[in-house]
Amino acid sequence: MSIGTKVTDEGKRLIIKLDEKFDFGKVQDFRLAYLDLSEDINHIEVDLSDTEYMDSSALGMLLNMQKSLNERQFSYSITHCRPQVARILKISRFDKKFEIS
Amino acid sequence: MRILIVDDEPLNRFMLKHMLEQQGYTDCYEAENGEQALDIAREIDPDLVLLDVMMPGLSGYEVAPRLKEMAGEAYLPIIFITSLEDQESLVRCLEVGGDDFASKPFDKVILAAKIRAHGRIRTLSKHVEQQNQELRFHQANVEHQHDIVEHIFSNAVVNRKDVEQYFDFKVSPAEDFNGDVFLCESSPKGGMYFLVGDFTGHGLASAIGALPVTRAFQAMARKGLSVAEMAITLNNALLNLLPTDMFFAAAIVEVSTEGNRFTIWNGGLPPMLLKSADGRLVRRFAPRHMALGILEENEFESHCDIYEAAEGEQLMAYSDGIMEITDSQGRMLDEEGVTEWFLAAKDVTAASLYDRALQYLKGEKPADDITVVIFTCQSLLSLRDESLISQFPFTVTSTLQPHALRQETVLEPLLEMLNSQSGLGWIRSDLFTVLTELMNNAIEHGLLKIDSSLKSSPEGFVEYYMKRESGLAELETGHITVSVEYKPHQRELYVSVEDSGDGFEYENIPDDDINNAFGRGIMLLRELCQTVWHENGGRKTCVTMTL
Repeated sequence: MSIGTKVTDEGKRLIIKLDEKFDFGKVQDFRLAYLDLSEDINHIEVDLSDTEYMDSSALGMLLNMQKSLNERQFSYSITHCRPQVARILKISRFDKKFEIS
Repeated sequence: MRILIVDDEPLNRFMLKHMLEQQGYTDCYEAENGEQALDIAREIDPDLVLLDVMMPGLSGYEVAPRLKEMAGEAYLPIIFITSLEDQESLVRCLEVGGDDFASKPFDKVILAAKIRAHGRIRTLSKHVEQQNQELRFHQANVEHQHDIVEHIFSNAVVNRKDVEQYFDFKVSPAEDFNGDVFLCESSPKGGMYFLVGDFTGHGLASAIGALPVTRAFQAMARKGLSVAEMAITLNNALLNLLPTDMFFAAAIVEVSTEGNRFTIWNGGLPPMLLKSADGRLVRRFAPRHMALGILEENEFESHCDIYEAAEGEQLMAYSDGIMEITDSQGRMLDEEGVTEWFLAAKDVTAASLYDRALQYLKGEKPADDITVVIFTCQSLLSLRDESLISQFPFTVTSTLQPHALRQETVLEPLLEMLNSQSGLGWIRSDLFTVLTELMNNAIEHGLLKIDSSLKSSPEGFVEYYMKRESGLAELETGHITVSVEYKPHQRELYVSVEDSGDGFEYENIPDDDINNAFGRGIMLLRELCQTVWHENGGRKTCVTMTL
């Protein structure tokens, strides 16, 4: 699968790692990455270190994840963004909803 | 054995020759005086000379040194046959170069034994001389080959000066050839890569691997491959190439255009150190992996550390050569020592670390190659060689039918084509977003007329993309025309995407509110492009982007 997931911090943090492209082709895989989460998890990190290409559907997927998990009080972060990707997130003002680094 | 008999008395010569023949030495020559002896010797290259002392003309004392000189490196035994018996004369025989003497009248048995003994030494000496000659030849040959290899190395393992100037580095081999490697190359995406590596051992055998590594590194850097891909490729290449007891400890680093974002793969190289502008240790990048050339492809891990440093911070990479130096008490400097030296001041240079290493060694030679590379975080924008921007104007237009549109990767060939043009690679991420945005818009709204408001709810979001998939699968008619025009003079890219749909009321595009699940695409276009406009009743969207 083009999206990898990993649970760290004694089961509290879910890391979803995207590959080079984060675009509409990932809609299904991305949704699967955060289905059936264990009770312990309280933070979701989206690791974009490998991601060089992104389109607006990726933004949609990120927001949709927050909406879907609305009932659970997760905190969210998007990490290791490349400058170009960080710019797209900034243009879209995603820093209001995600901790971006 | 070829023996030269030198005596002015024919009777003496006859007796000597007779005795020699009795002992089985049949290859004998006679000379009546010193001059003749030298002439004959020059011609026949004797193995032993029986030399009379008192002769008219040149005496034996004068002939002996000349014969020795003629013989060169090889041992030519000279036995004086003399009637002189005083101590002084006999000593002189040996002093002028004679090896032995026999008094007249000579004792046949003793003389024969002496001839055999000296003959053995002569044979041994000739053998040694022959081996020396072979060695000299071999050595000259090796030197010649080293010269050739050195020439190739000095031409093949070179960095571009404009990239290298960003580094403060010291590379010092323990022998003629360096088993350490420092490579750097700019990236077509902007920014650059560098590699610091250390082959097992030192000298020629470990240096030889530098050639394929350099070639592969430079080729991959020019293609803009990721650090992980580079690590995988180099590992596979070295796994095939190197003997099992040899490997390549290396760190591969990509530095962003801004000069502060590092992607680091460290396999077996000592921890890289990041120092703040005021001299504190910010971070260690320890080797997370085994060296290159050990693990099979399926065991190999390409995971990289990613770190954003601040301007002015310094990243240092070094091979274990400096770490393993020992002082006169046998104390190894070790990682702690190197770290301490690096943090000793704000402005520690590679050369000063090397000098300090030499002082630590107190005149001993370093046992291994020493490499220290320091990069100070700074903008790499000047690496973008403006003169490299393609000057070739072109237009690419393609009309895509439903079967092509059904493929997720439909735009990839076009993007690859564009990115391969020098200069356009710098904006490849933006280009991807813009083209994908325009294309999705044309497919989803122009051809399939899916309602964007669906995306407002999580369920609708999924439904939206399912509709896209099924809609595309069922699509029989309709097409999309993509056109890209590059104008090098204006450094501008014009992109248009036109669909065969009904068009739309583009005046009513919703405001760009983050909570709107739609309209984000057009917002991105407006930000990433210089201009965005619609034509043909909303069927065609056009944008311009600048380099």
